[in-house]
Amino acid sequence: MLKLLIISVSAWFSFICVGQTDSSRMVNNALLGLKLSYNSSLIYPGLSAGIEFPVKIVSVAKTNKALVEKAITRSRFISGNMNWYHHPGFHDNVYLTTEWVMRRTKPGGFFSEFSSGLGFSRTFVGGTTYRVAADGIVSIEKLRGYNYAMITAGGGIGYDLQQKNQLPLSLFGKMNLFSMFPYNSTIYLRPAFELGLRFNTGCFIFNRFKKISVTKTKSK
Amino acid sequence: MRSLVLFIFILVLSGCQKTEITFSGHASETFYVENAGASMRVLVEGNTASKTLIIFVHGGPGAGSFIYNTDYIRENLEDKYAIAYWDQRNAGASQGNCNGDELNLDQMVEDLKKVIQVLKYRYGQDISLFLLGHSFGGLLMTAFATKADYQTLINGLINVNGSHNYPLNETLTRNMLLTVGQQQLALNQNSEEWTDIINYCNSHSGNFTFNESVQLEKYAIDAEGFIPGVKQINIPAQILKYAIKNKYPLTSMLFNYIFSSNADLNKKLAKKEFSSFLYKVTVPVLVLWGKYDFVCPQELGDDFFMKVSSSEKSKIVSPVSGHNIMFQDEKLFCDAIAAFVQKFRH
Repeated sequence: MLKLLIISVSAWFSFICVGQTDSSRMVNNALLGLKLSYNSSLIYPGLSAGIEFPVKIVSVAKTNKALVEKAITRSRFISGNMNWYHHPGFHDNVYLTTEWVMRRTKPGGFFSEFSSGLGFSRTFVGGTTYRVAADGIVSIEKLRGYNYAMITAGGGIGYDLQQKNQLPLSLFGKMNLFSMFPYNSTIYLRPAFELGLRFNTGCFIFNRFKKISVTKTKSK
Repeated sequence: MRSLVLFIFILVLSGCQKTEITFSGHASETFYVENAGASMRVLVEGNTASKTLIIFVHGGPGAGSFIYNTDYIRENLEDKYAIAYWDQRNAGASQGNCNGDELNLDQMVEDLKKVIQVLKYRYGQDISLFLLGHSFGGLLMTAFATKADYQTLINGLINVNGSHNYPLNETLTRNMLLTVGQQQLALNQNSEEWTDIINYCNSHSGNFTFNESVQLEKYAIDAEGFIPGVKQINIPAQILKYAIKNKYPLTSMLFNYIFSSNADLNKKLAKKEFSSFLYKVTVPVLVLWGKYDFVCPQELGDDFFMKVSSSEKSKIVSPVSGHNIMFQDEKLFCDAIAAFVQKFRH
């Protein structure tokens, strides 16, 4: 009985402490995002373009001892990306990924993010591909390549210009690691560095995401 | 978005798979040969105008051919002839999906035949072709040359520290570790390490299991480093030196190597011998060896040299080399090959 009472009191106390909402901060982060980035593996060039759908935005306002409020935004997105890189003499790789993105934005606009996802890759081997028939006749195979399943993971940092400068842009750098399989009956791992821009379109084509705002006050 | 997709697609189409055949003193062209689920990279570099090509058949299995493409070979061999750096299936930059079941010696012999057919298709049926097999590549090259009439496709064989007989190889490695080890112990050189090696060899005298063969090879690689006067090579440093310059697909090389070196193929190779088939070889032969090669001891080269039926054959031993004469005695390596090829090309 005592246990039940403690749980009930704790739940009620928690409920009344998260009652305030700051809607303006939410709206800024709830826009559909378009991304364009340079997608490089070591010295090999590439491009990445993507779209982000907001799923959940949690705005946490913290008040410190000096009664200064700091708001941190924790956002969750589902992103779809189309990527490409060119490794001369090896292959060109065009790959589609869908990722779960977790982003944490500080009041000044700096953010960090982590993502993981699944994808599909189509490679095109890096040179003319020949096939020799049983009778010795040689022919050229056009656009020879392979299909692979993919797993991706990545992390990066960036700066959201909308927070202070009201520009609907973010700059970011991100390190991704992806694995393709089955690659020669094993896996293929490749790191890729992204440097790019994310543009908040200002349209709400997908506004069923959860909006939560929490205010926490630090007391003595 | 549609424009971007189109842009990427055009880039892909224009950026790769160009058919480029160059006859010049400084050609450099990459193409792929597709066979039984594998697209195998072939890089042809050097003097294609000479109409003479040397195909490097790399070791491993799974080691890839990138490592042989050094500045020295570029300046001292590729200036005279073209070299075809072939990545065998599941090695180097070779690509595919679920092709592990095809990783066997018979299939690799057929792959090599198709690489030769493509080279003749690209550079002309009248070109001169030489096979250079290093380490495991020596076995693959011998399997090729002793099969049917396959040697009619080539002008000569260059055996560089190659193993054409794995059971004999293991016995010779053990004997050499024991003999040289005892000499080194008497000279008080690396006594602790040699004692371990000698003890292992004394407790394993023959009929080696696969794991014993692997251990003997590890000791053989270590032993080369204990011999004063043998030029030591630093493979990781070499990879770092050429990784960007030669556009290594590093992770592909690594995962292919891990897969191939642990594949069932290795257990089957442990029983393979071609000594009893060498009489079939009639093309000119050059045997190049390192005196301090414990991995494939010199007597293995002698066995190859003695048993081929070729009327034109020669053997050269480098006194400062171990298993990798192409890096340890570069001048001797390039000069010997250039002279041999010059003599027997069309």
